[in-house]
Order: sequence, then C-alpha cells, then structure tokens
Amino acid sequence: MNISVFLFEFKHFIRSKAKLFSYIFFMLLCGFSIYNGYEIMHKQINTIAEIKDKQELEFIQITEWLENKKGPEDKPWVNVEDPYWSIRYTPSYVVKNPSALFPLGIGQSEHFGFYKKVTRWSSTYDSDMVEEISNYERLINGNIDFSFLIIFLLPILLIILTYNINGLEKDLKFNKLISIQNNKINHWIFNRLLFYLLLLLLSVDILILGVGLFNDEFYSTQSLFKLVLISNLYIISFSIVFYFINKNARSSSSVAFKMISIWLLFCVIIPGSVHQYVSFKYPVNYMTDFLDVNRKQTYEVFKLDNIDLYDILMEIHPELVQTKKAQEKTLDNQLIRRSISTIINQMNIDAANEIEIQNEDKNNLIKFSYFFNPVSYVQNLWSSCTATDYYSYRKFRLEIEESVLARNRLIVLELWRNNKVDKLTYQKYLGVLNNL
Amino acid sequence: MSIIFYNEWKGFLRNKLFLFFISFFVILLFIVTFFGIVQNNKQIKSQNDAHSHIRAQWDEMNPSNPHSAAHFGTYAFKPNSILNSLDEGVNAVTGLVLRLEGHKQNEVAFSEASQSLTVSKFGKFKVSLLFQFIIPLFLIFLAFNIYTSEISSGRLKLLLVQGNSLRKIVFAKVFSLLSLATILLLFTILAQCLFNFSNIELDQVIRLNVFFWSYFIYYFIIISFTVLLSLILKKSTSALSLTIITWLLWTIFLPKTIGNFTESLTPLSTRIELTEKMKEDRSKGIDGHNPFDDRKKELEEEVLARYDVDSISDLPINFAGILMQADEEYGNKVWDKHYGDLYENLETQKRNYQFSGFINPFASLQSLSMASAGTDLFHHLDFLNAAESYRRYFIKTLNNEYAFGGSRTGERGWKASNEFFRSIKDFSYKEANFLSILSKYLIDIFCLLFWGMSLVVGINFFSRKELI
Repeated sequence: MNISVFLFEFKHFIRSKAKLFSYIFFMLLCGFSIYNGYEIMHKQINTIAEIKDKQELEFIQITEWLENKKGPEDKPWVNVEDPYWSIRYTPSYVVKNPSALFPLGIGQSEHFGFYKKVTRWSSTYDSDMVEEISNYERLINGNIDFSFLIIFLLPILLIILTYNINGLEKDLKFNKLISIQNNKINHWIFNRLLFYLLLLLLSVDILILGVGLFNDEFYSTQSLFKLVLISNLYIISFSIVFYFINKNARSSSSVAFKMISIWLLFCVIIPGSVHQYVSFKYPVNYMTDFLDVNRKQTYEVFKLDNIDLYDILMEIHPELVQTKKAQEKTLDNQLIRRSISTIINQMNIDAANEIEIQNEDKNNLIKFSYFFNPVSYVQNLWSSCTATDYYSYRKFRLEIEESVLARNRLIVLELWRNNKVDKLTYQKYLGVLNNL
Repeated sequence: MSIIFYNEWKGFLRNKLFLFFISFFVILLFIVTFFGIVQNNKQIKSQNDAHSHIRAQWDEMNPSNPHSAAHFGTYAFKPNSILNSLDEGVNAVTGLVLRLEGHKQNEVAFSEASQSLTVSKFGKFKVSLLFQFIIPLFLIFLAFNIYTSEISSGRLKLLLVQGNSLRKIVFAKVFSLLSLATILLLFTILAQCLFNFSNIELDQVIRLNVFFWSYFIYYFIIISFTVLLSLILKKSTSALSLTIITWLLWTIFLPKTIGNFTESLTPLSTRIELTEKMKEDRSKGIDGHNPFDDRKKELEEEVLARYDVDSISDLPINFAGILMQADEEYGNKVWDKHYGDLYENLETQKRNYQFSGFINPFASLQSLSMASAGTDLFHHLDFLNAAESYRRYFIKTLNNEYAFGGSRTGERGWKASNEFFRSIKDFSYKEANFLSILSKYLIDIFCLLFWGMSLVVGINFFSRKELI
C-alpha cells in the first residue's frame, strides 16, 4: 500500500464537496434507516404486548366464569366447565417477535402478518394472515431500510466516490504525468480505490456492530458477524469490478456510464428479469385447491354420516379409541359434531403443505438464478440473518399450524374423555394452548 | 432550430455507441412488452379459471338452506387489467382473493409478494421499470454534455455567429433528445396495441394516451433539468454528478421518505385495533345467531306488528331470514364506518403523496403511470368496494329467499332450489372508466406541467444571461 497516495486521496475526499456531501448524506440515511427499523420493530413489539395483555384479561375472565357464572351473561348456554366451551373461549395467539437485528433489515416483513389469533378452525392461509394495514403504494416503494441502502445504494455511493479515478486525469489530459510519477499506474488506482473501500467497510461495520451491541448485546453473534461478512464481501465485489473499470478508463463520464450500467444490470435488470421469468413460469397462485378445502370439501365433511366421521376421527386420533366416550355403545351426535374441526384441520394442513410445495418450487427457481443474480442472493441471505425472509415467515406459519393442531387435539381428547373443567384443569389447558 | 434539430439527429446516427443503445432499447422494449403481455394474459387466464371453478361449484350446489349458502359464500378474484403489463403498480403487493360470505367482511389475501423469496426490489422487468429507471438514466448520459461539449469544441460560438440564439440552440438539443425518447414511447404503445389489438377499447386508448403524455413530459423534465444544470454549472462532470444525485433522490430516496412521512401524517389503525373497534361496534347491533339478544326481540315485535300477528309462528314468512338481514345491515354500517375511515385515510395519504410531485416529478409520473395501467391505489379500492357491494347483493338475495322464498319461521330444514342459486348473478368487475376518475389525478398532471413550465422558464433565463 502506498501511504502517500492513500493520504492524498483522503485530502482529496475531504476537499471534494460533492463526495464528502454524498458520504455524509449516505451515512445520515443509514442512521435514519436504522431508526426507522427500530420504529417498526417497536410498533410490532407494542402490538404484541397489547395482544398479550388482552389475552391475559380473557384468561382471567374464564377463570372468573369457572368460579361463578359459567359463561357470558348474554349466552346462557355457554358453560365453561365443559371443555368445548372453555377451550373455545380461551384465546391463543401465535406471534412472530421481531429479531434483535430487525433494524438492520426489515426484509419481507411488510408482506406478512406477525400475529395470528388461533381458533380450532384456523389455518395458515386465513385471510387474517395478511400484512399489517398499510398504504399499498408505500409498500411498492418500500421503507428506508438499512439492507436496501447497503445492497442497492452503497454501490451508487461507491460510484460517486470513485468514478473519476483515472478518468478525470484523462479528461484533463495529465494522465501521462501520473504515469511518470507513479511507476505502476495500477497500484496508484488500487490505492486510491482502497481508501474508499476501507472508508465504506469501516462505516458499515461500525453501524452493524453498533446495532448489534445496543439492541442485541451480541446475543445473535453468529447472525451479526454473518451480516458483517456479507456486507463486506458485497462491497469488495463491487470494488473489484469498479477497479477494472477505473483501470481501463477513457474519461470520467465513460467510467460513470459503465459503473451505472453495472449497477443497473446487477441491481435492477437481472433481478427484474428473473422476477418476470419466475412470474411467467409460476403465475400468481389463486390457491383454488386451498379454497376448495376451506369451502366445498369442508361442507362435504359436514354432510357425512356420524359413523363415517367417527372412522375418520379414529384415523386422525387413534388414541381416542381408549377414551370413555369411544367405549360407549351409541355414538354421541353432539360429540362427533364438536370434533369435526380436527378433520377439517387435517385437510387444511394437507392443502397448506401443497401450497408450501408450490411456493418451494418457485423458490428453487429463484435460488437457481443466484449464480447470475447475486444481488437477490445477498438480499435473501441478509433477510435470513434478520429473520425477515420468506423462510422465517414459513417457520411462523408452522408454529401456527402446530398451535391449531394442539388446540384441536386437546379439545377432542378432553371431550372424548368426558372431562369436566376446574381451575386446575384450565391451567393445564393454558399450558397446552399457549405453550406456557 | 429545425436545422440544429436535424443536425443533432445526424450526429446521433453517426455515433455507433448511440446506435447500439437505441437498437438495444428497441429490442429490449419489444421483448419486455411481448413477455409482459404473455405473462399478463397467462395470469388473466389463471384468474378466469379460478373464477369459473368457484362459480361452477356454486352453480352445482344441491338444494340447501339459503343461510348455509351464505356461510358457504363465494370468492372474488382481483382481475388484472390488460394494461397491467405496462405497469404492475400495487398488484404485486395486494392480495388477489377475497372471500365473500355472510356476517363478515374478509381481507383480500394471497399477495404475490408473500408467495416466494424476494427477487427484485424494483419490481418485475416490465415496461415501467425500463421507462422509469433505465431510459431516464440513458437520457441523462446523453444530455449532460450536450451543451458543454459545444462550448469545449468551440462550435457554440460558430452557431451563435450564424445568427442562432442560445435559447434556440439549447431547445433544439432538448427536443432532439426528446424525440428519441418519444420514438421509444411510441414503439411501446404500438407494440402494446399490436399484441392486445382485440382487447383495446376507448378507455384503453385514453389510458395509453395518458401513459404516453405523462412519460413524454417527464422525459422533457429529465432532459431539460440535465441541460439546465450544465448551463448553470458549465462543467459536464459536475452536471452529471448533480443530475445523478437528483435522479437518485427522485426515484429512490424521496418516494420512500415521503411515503413514510405521509403515512405518519395520517396514521392507519393496526389490524388488531381495527378488528377490536369493529367487534365492539358490532356487539351493539343485532346478533343473528343469538336467540337471547334484546335487539332481536325489538325486531320481532316490529315484524309482528307489520304482519298484524301475535306470534312468529303465525308469520307467513320466515323471521330468521329477516333477522339475518338485519344483522347483516348492521354489520354493513359498522364496516362502512371503519373501512370508510380507513379508505378515506388511504386516499388522504395518496393525495398528500401526490403533492410531493412539486418537489419530485417522479412521484407524479409514477402515480399517472399506475393510474393509466389501472394498477394504483384508487383502482384497488374501487375493486374492494365493488366486491363489497356484490357481497351485500349476494347475501341480501340469500336472506330474502330465506325470509320470503316460501318457508315459515322454524323451518330450518327448508331448502332453496338449485335454480335459485344459479339465478344469483355472478361477480363481475370492470375497472373504472378512466375519465370518471381523472379528477383524482389532476394534482399529478399539474405537477408535471409545473415542472415542465418551470424548466422552460429556467432554460430561457439562463440561456439569456449566459456569457460566452
């Protein structure tokens, strides 16, 4: 490394108003994006806290009913000593808590819901699984997000900082002078570029580690350092490409044009083309298979005879055979009807799995494009570190699925065991329903 | 002026790099328009198939209780407009399927953005992506030294000596670049008309006109702005840096920050808040499924008085149907209040955002581009309102059949015929006629014109004062 060239570049940077302003502006934007990420994160945390409070009040309400009135005043037929009603009236919410690194990348979080009230009829593709209420036009423009700044805008900052290296000298026709003063022109270009590379790496690393320290206390160390590594490799990759452009510069405007073209190609054109192709190959899923299960097939199940329903139930829950009610000689019509949700739930799970498989096919095609579409790869890798990618939300959907399954299993087992609910039993229910 | 214009074009055609880029863009536009239309048609077909599939299930329904049929419900699928291939707008982030059923209004679900990993932050490679991000940049690179190169080569003095005014020279250069952008625009519109010839109606012609003129003015702004900066700064590199920074501000930074700002000016309820408020208001009305409800008793008395009988068993109609419809109408009022407020807030946010066109012409362009393609917020809300109106018609028809179709109160097993179910009109949505909603976009049109006029004044001013 040639220190004098390096120091000269520092002086040049400080004196160049446009470059200095662009750098400061970018850093302010980064600060704002992290603040914005914190705001969204806290909004989610507050909503989750509200849900928990509400849920707590509802638990207390049922406990009170168990002591006195047995149910709401306007619905005298409700008796919470019956497991059917106590479980039905016990709310359970599955929430996706934002990760501590959320301010560093909100990823796909704006396209998914982060809480779900679970009933025995719920499924992972219910209409309340949609994103939080927001302005659709703002959603297409997106938020000022730190990951967006690093992945999409930082290369532009790098262009502003480096586009005239070796180009300006050719514009002003004193490039020969530089060649005379510097034995190896490539080293001279490298050293100048290195200054900006180190400046950006240092700035980005400080911001990432800063958030890690203050928000996470280095709890998610692995993800945090993965973010540092991804961002550094990403910036270095762009710098390498830009080095070759600078090396072969004809003029500063041609360098700027080439650099911007590279940015457009990798950040806009290739991802946009892949996106278009993926949509062409896998058009938007109207989920008719799922809708059929949710509607037509559900109604067909309701029309089945009790004996058929009994057989299906025993297939789903073989453990029911040993229960008190299953030992009785006649089938309890109400019991069978109250157990139908577990059959529907099984159908919902199967249909949802089909959708997940179709989505995975789409994802595989996207992943296949990574070798010529590195920006999308970096983007999804980054989102996985901040737990805001598609797979983080798929995990959330699986948790919902487990919760619905647990609720249905509990209701069926308790009904078929013909149990009566008291405060102690209810506490056990809460344990199962809310994973307490 | 026409000679300079003609001369500029001669220069363009002699430049191999220029010829490469113009051929590249023409081919790219052709491919993008063609594949955009193919993909859009594929999606329209997929939507039609889903719609027919769901309707067929309804038409095949066995005789059933109309209220059960209301719970069975139906689905509204958000259709793609044929110009969606130009600009996808909000369609990638909004849901596409809306369940329509009794007692409750659902959210439109299953957005494309939630069905896979992220691919592109700037959307699919559609015509709008080319026209909004890539071609302006190309124009900036062509325009940034269009004036300064004349100074450095000494040709400017020659042109002035020949009796041309600086203003005329600058405008001739601006219009020569604009004519280039116009060719690309016209080419796309022609390709759109060619591939979609059978589907183009008067409304689409109007929309394509709006699309064309919006981009035409925006390109005039981009070119004039770049030339104006080079007039002021007199250095091509400074003009280029500043124009690129401005382009970044306009297309990336300001839409995001102003979008966030307008959302904070008119905050929206969270989903859980909205649900709770609606639930609370709903609890104050009639509950069709609660026989102990006091308000139900009031309605019962009112109906008994209307039919002049003493007990509901004496009614010649089925009271359950009337009760369900009363429940429904109360629910509709609650929905109108809360969702009315929500939609109003969304429209206010949009309107506030439209005003940002005064500092960011890209905001106006984006708004008009989506509007002309029928893919903006107003069109989406129009679809949601149409779906809700249909839901009301659908449920009311079922409830009326339940009440007045021949059954008496207490006859829960009574079934309406398949003919009745088939007689219920299917949901059919046609996007709003553009002229009927044109007033919503006047701010955008005004902002673009304002920018265009201001730049004409700016160029006039600086080319008059310029000292050579």
